[in-house]
Amino acid sequence: MAIIPSMIEIRELTKTYGGIDAVKDVTFTASPGRVTGFLGMNGSGKTTTLRVLLGLSRPTSGQALINGRRYRDLGQPLTQVGAVLEQGLSHPGQTGRGHLRTQAFLGGASGARVDELLDYVGLADAGSKRTGDYSLGMRQRLAVATAMLGDPAVLVLDEPANGLDPSGMAWLRQLLRGHAEAGGTVLISSHLLGELEQLVDDVVIIAGGRVRLAEPLAALTGRQALRLRVRGRDPHALWAAFEQAGAQVRTDGPVLHVSGLTPEDAGEIAFAVQQPIYELTSDAPTLEQLFFELAQDNAAAG
Amino acid sequence: MIAVIRSELYRTLSIRSSWVSIAGTITLGVLFGFLSADFWSLFAGLGAFGIAVVTTSAHYQHRTAVLLFLGRPRRLRVLAGQSVAAVLIALALTVISGFTLFNPQDVRQFTGTLVAVPMIALFGVANATLVRKPLWLFAGYICWITFVEGLLGQLKDPWPFTSFLNAASGKPEGLLTFTAWTVVALAGAVWAIRRDLSGD
Repeated sequence: MAIIPSMIEIRELTKTYGGIDAVKDVTFTASPGRVTGFLGMNGSGKTTTLRVLLGLSRPTSGQALINGRRYRDLGQPLTQVGAVLEQGLSHPGQTGRGHLRTQAFLGGASGARVDELLDYVGLADAGSKRTGDYSLGMRQRLAVATAMLGDPAVLVLDEPANGLDPSGMAWLRQLLRGHAEAGGTVLISSHLLGELEQLVDDVVIIAGGRVRLAEPLAALTGRQALRLRVRGRDPHALWAAFEQAGAQVRTDGPVLHVSGLTPEDAGEIAFAVQQPIYELTSDAPTLEQLFFELAQDNAAAG
Repeated sequence: MIAVIRSELYRTLSIRSSWVSIAGTITLGVLFGFLSADFWSLFAGLGAFGIAVVTTSAHYQHRTAVLLFLGRPRRLRVLAGQSVAAVLIALALTVISGFTLFNPQDVRQFTGTLVAVPMIALFGVANATLVRKPLWLFAGYICWITFVEGLLGQLKDPWPFTSFLNAASGKPEGLLTFTAWTVVALAGAVWAIRRDLSGD
């Protein structure tokens, strides 16, 4: 079935609990055909934002819309939005198949779709097992199957990487990339930044309940200055020479992290001061490094 | 609402602990029916209340209320569907367990219970929606029935469970009072079901 493009829009969303803002003026969009990573530390406001988006909590002010409508105003919401929340929700005394059938009755999906999805998420053999006996990874797979029951265009996933082993994470990455490439919209939250780096197209970083950055990952990484990792015979001499040439230098022992120079410049400077170089590599910043730098900048800005 | 009713009935019957509870309640109800119609009424009522509380509050206890509200975001319709499902289960439990009441004198008791049991199922759904924690609810009501309705009220004052027993024995004033208690509890549930679902 063809996926109908659907947009998620969060507009100046504020949610206050007991006078404290859990999220404040949060604004961003998640577009069709793209995977949007909603990144932040625990307690930064990711889950609160997603709960408001999905109609589980009411906003204090602002709006969270899917295709221009609040979740509660969507007709047959499970055919438009699938959600993975809270590390796999199910009654522990119900079998995986029973759980999916219960949800299928709610969402209008067929029994055949239940068996198809059990097979798709690799739980065909565990379908008659009680979910209380499932591992965390199996519960996450069941949660993904639950989200996909209505074949929705929009997938919203809150910390889906928790409990998945590397092969499970690779499976999830492939599934979500496939969904986005087919025109679907994927909004995925996580505090495991490294896990999302290979998956997301757009990045929304939230800290302290406020969005600190929202832009394509390519733009974010492309804007960062090239950093070099340099290891030589005398790090002190190299440090002084690089700084004299206008570079910023940091170190974690014998290795220097140099920004503001090209590899060619660094090699020439080392040659000029007659210091042998043992290692000279370009060091592209990881999403995790970028996140912490942004967090530091924001903390410094007060 | 039909989707919620179907989903709730399927869920109840596909969870082993639920259908074992229902089967156990029916079996004990049948045995109590041999002993005394009053005992049977009491047991059928408490059974319907307990099952309604457990099936409704399990959604909050195991967090599946999240899935329920994602599937059906209009929460009053969810409450209505849960109420109808609980009433259907309560009626089935009452009819099946009451087949041992052969005595013609027990007809009034049987029909009175059949009318009152849906009310206590609704009362159970409403209370579970309001409190969300079955242990608190059961512990609270055991204390309430024992000390307030039993020791202080001598099962004569118009409190909820005393009214239910009067209704079950076919007394219209008992049914009226218990209906009023149920309406109050449902009004609380209508308010409570709109509350935010807190995180895990």
